[in-house]
Amino acid sequence: MPRLPLGQWVDSSVDWLQAQFSWLFDAVSTGVTGLYDGIDAVLSAPQPLLFAGILAVVAWWLRGLAAGVLAFAGFVLVDSVQLWDEAMATLSLVLVSTLVTLVIAVPLGIWAARSKTVSAVLRPVLDFMQTMPAMVYLIPGIIFFGVGVVPGIIATIVFALPPGVRMTELGIRQVDGELVEAAEAFGTTPRNTLLRVQLPLALPTIMAGVNQVIMLGLSMVVIAGMVGGGGLGGAVYRAIGNVDIGLGFEAGVSIVVLAMYLDRMTGALGRQVSPLGRRAAAKARAALGAKRVGAKLWAHRPQPVTALVGVVVLALAAGGMGFLGGSGGATSTTASGTNGGHGKKVSIGYIPWDEGIASTYLWKELLERRGYEVETKQLEAGALYTGLAGGQLDFQTDAWLPVTHAQYWKKYQNKLEDLGSWYGPTSLELSVPSYVKGVDSLADLKGKAGQFKGRIVGIEPSAGMMGILKDKVLKEYGLEGEYKVVDGSTPGMLAELKRAYDRKEPVVVTLWSPHWAYSAHDLKKLKDPKGSWGEGDGVHTLARKGFAAENPEVGAWLKNFSLTEKQLTDLEAVIQETGKGKEQQAVRTWLDRNPGLAEKLTPQ
Amino acid sequence: MSRLQADHLYKVFGRRPDEAVRRLADGADRDELRAEGTTAAVVDAGFTVDPGQIFVVMGLSGSGKSTLLRMLNGLLEPTAGRVLYDGNDLTALSPRELREVRSTKISMVFQHFALFPHRNVLENAAYGLEVQGVPRAERETRAAEALELCGLAGWEKSWPDELSGGMQQRVGLARALATDADLLLMDESFSALDPLIRRDMQDQLLVLQQRLKKTIVFITHDLNEAMRLGDRIAVMRDGRIVQLGTAEDILVRPADDYVASFIQDVDRSRVLTAAAVMTAPTGPVAPDAPAVGPDTLLADLCALAAEGPHPVVVQDSGGSALGVVRKEKLLAVLGGLASQEVTAHA
Repeated sequence: MPRLPLGQWVDSSVDWLQAQFSWLFDAVSTGVTGLYDGIDAVLSAPQPLLFAGILAVVAWWLRGLAAGVLAFAGFVLVDSVQLWDEAMATLSLVLVSTLVTLVIAVPLGIWAARSKTVSAVLRPVLDFMQTMPAMVYLIPGIIFFGVGVVPGIIATIVFALPPGVRMTELGIRQVDGELVEAAEAFGTTPRNTLLRVQLPLALPTIMAGVNQVIMLGLSMVVIAGMVGGGGLGGAVYRAIGNVDIGLGFEAGVSIVVLAMYLDRMTGALGRQVSPLGRRAAAKARAALGAKRVGAKLWAHRPQPVTALVGVVVLALAAGGMGFLGGSGGATSTTASGTNGGHGKKVSIGYIPWDEGIASTYLWKELLERRGYEVETKQLEAGALYTGLAGGQLDFQTDAWLPVTHAQYWKKYQNKLEDLGSWYGPTSLELSVPSYVKGVDSLADLKGKAGQFKGRIVGIEPSAGMMGILKDKVLKEYGLEGEYKVVDGSTPGMLAELKRAYDRKEPVVVTLWSPHWAYSAHDLKKLKDPKGSWGEGDGVHTLARKGFAAENPEVGAWLKNFSLTEKQLTDLEAVIQETGKGKEQQAVRTWLDRNPGLAEKLTPQ
Repeated sequence: MSRLQADHLYKVFGRRPDEAVRRLADGADRDELRAEGTTAAVVDAGFTVDPGQIFVVMGLSGSGKSTLLRMLNGLLEPTAGRVLYDGNDLTALSPRELREVRSTKISMVFQHFALFPHRNVLENAAYGLEVQGVPRAERETRAAEALELCGLAGWEKSWPDELSGGMQQRVGLARALATDADLLLMDESFSALDPLIRRDMQDQLLVLQQRLKKTIVFITHDLNEAMRLGDRIAVMRDGRIVQLGTAEDILVRPADDYVASFIQDVDRSRVLTAAAVMTAPTGPVAPDAPAVGPDTLLADLCALAAEGPHPVVVQDSGGSALGVVRKEKLLAVLGGLASQEVTAHA
């Protein structure tokens, strides 16, 4: 059976598309980003509590007092775990993708309902879109649109489109044929038949579709977080990357609050906007009739006018306060901006590895002290390099070269600039717990596959060391076939290590130095007499081509940047102590303990 | 001039309909075409309906009667033939002109009422006027009048799902009447109602028709209903009109065995009139003999006939005798045994 180069074809057509239609992708990207920024600006402008109040009044109006109170409590919870901005970013992302999806899906659905041909053509396309794992859309998404919210939104749209189209088509087709015929028999034009009969009657089904679109969009936020979508998805992804159960739970609960709110509200909105829904609700109320006063109170819903007035008053208050708060913030920015950077924007990307987080937040703090406006984006390694090569990111401080990240360097080196190594050498290794006797070097693994269940617990398949392990190390030590390298994730590997360690089971894991696992557990690095892992890497700073020339000051600082092992482990330790989400605060504490260091790293 | 005329109407579904029409016109059988995947729903249907008449099309399901009805207002385009409304050919109109005709001149009442569930009773009744573009105040007044006419005064703000079947169909009727269209197409409009309500609605339709003098094409599969309502009746079978005539024509002179088998179950006493069964008086009329008009139903005649020994006298409005109804004859006709003989005398 000859190998069909299907992947290659797709690959080259993606390249071709990128070359031919970059103007189109740029336009889409600009449009979507603009929409997202606009909505995000509106949503994050008001004080969290006021905005929670607005959302609660909407819930009160749509579903009753109980729903309003619960909604308020839910959003206060989100605010109290300091994920408000993330939640609003996620809400914006979901709203933008929903909006765009509906603008495409509803007309398509109507078209499909009116033409059997269109319906027949659309069906397999929709099946394809819906069943293709959503992650797959991210790859071309990043290539076309760069890292950030856009590929996340685009992938969400592609993923959420099918139910929108299907439910619209289904809703319209479900409308009793006799009703459509009646409309025609009285001389209604096709357009009015659609607007006055078909759409109103299909509305409950269409709204169920809208609900599904929103829920699918929300389910995509974590995936969008992997490509720099930020928001709660970013928080979840960060939590996964750091095995941070606490943050993971907080971010997860926040997503649940958002999801419940959006789900219940779109459901209720469906009943409110559709005449049939209002009719059913009125019937239910009449049937409820003489229920207890308590139940009535909880089910009480204000008149639309009252609700509208409430929302407007809160929104005005929120707008006023947002305005005051905004101007206050602007003053403080200009105050600190006298220091050379003049508010120039710099964006740093990082992989959520300990030394990456430490150095990135160190530079964020240092540059901000010098008057730059710094944005940090947490990304998966592949996305990080693509984004840097594409110019959406300015630099990153966690490139392991020349070995671990060799594949990325080879691919993108002419679009990147190496600003030198700031820490090194590092080492890659396989490690076993020290209670595993008789295994001290890689060569000792031979013939012991039974003991380790034939498995080497690996990390992300995209990690450079996984490639080296599979292609080189196993081969040279003759372990191929005997051991299977389990692809997974760093947190997965660490969790497996901890589990096995606690039960004193033998286990082989991929690890690197420096790593906190060596202080947490008593581990043995397996010796590498043949030198298969190669020379130790240096941790390099990579910038996009031209960044250093445009920002000579920052370029010079980065080129001269270096930390000793003591400094780095100290900084990592302070960050661990201070807790997740407060990295920059930890950096300040650390800088205070090392007086003069900031001046030394960023001389003026 | 007739209000409505159907002129050699054909409706063929499937491939190459024009060729199918030609073959049907040449006498091809419907089953032959079906074997080739072509369905001839209506074959060479022609009739005229005069203003103020109720014209009933009667046939079993699949006979093509509903298809025929939908060609009359252009919901279905005839494969061949013409539909003339007041002499204008509807099949020659553009879609826009056709919609204009449907909104002002022809309205329709449906089998399952087809009320819009998202509109209340008044809005439903006003729908046709809304399509015409009549201002809200005026259309609501006119819709309310139509509802009152149909006995639904006071139900304007109710919703369709709150009404019984009979009441829903009254709304359907009011919706059709509100537009002041002269031609009413009624598609098995009472078939979904239970028998008592159906009878009620038939009575009400007849009463309304007395006042409004609309032109009505009524589709039914129920021969009793056809006989009660129809001034003229077309019996359809396999897409063709097999007999066209008054209730009496059909009952007394069925065109073929199919129609004959159909009319077996009809309650003759409620269809046939004295005029159909009377015979020439054989001698002087007994002075105490009961007298009736020629339109008297046999059902009403039976009691009178049973009361005295003499035949019942049929006389016109002036009081002169037209004939007599003998008891043996009455019984024979009611039994359906002597239709040939009845024919001979009638």
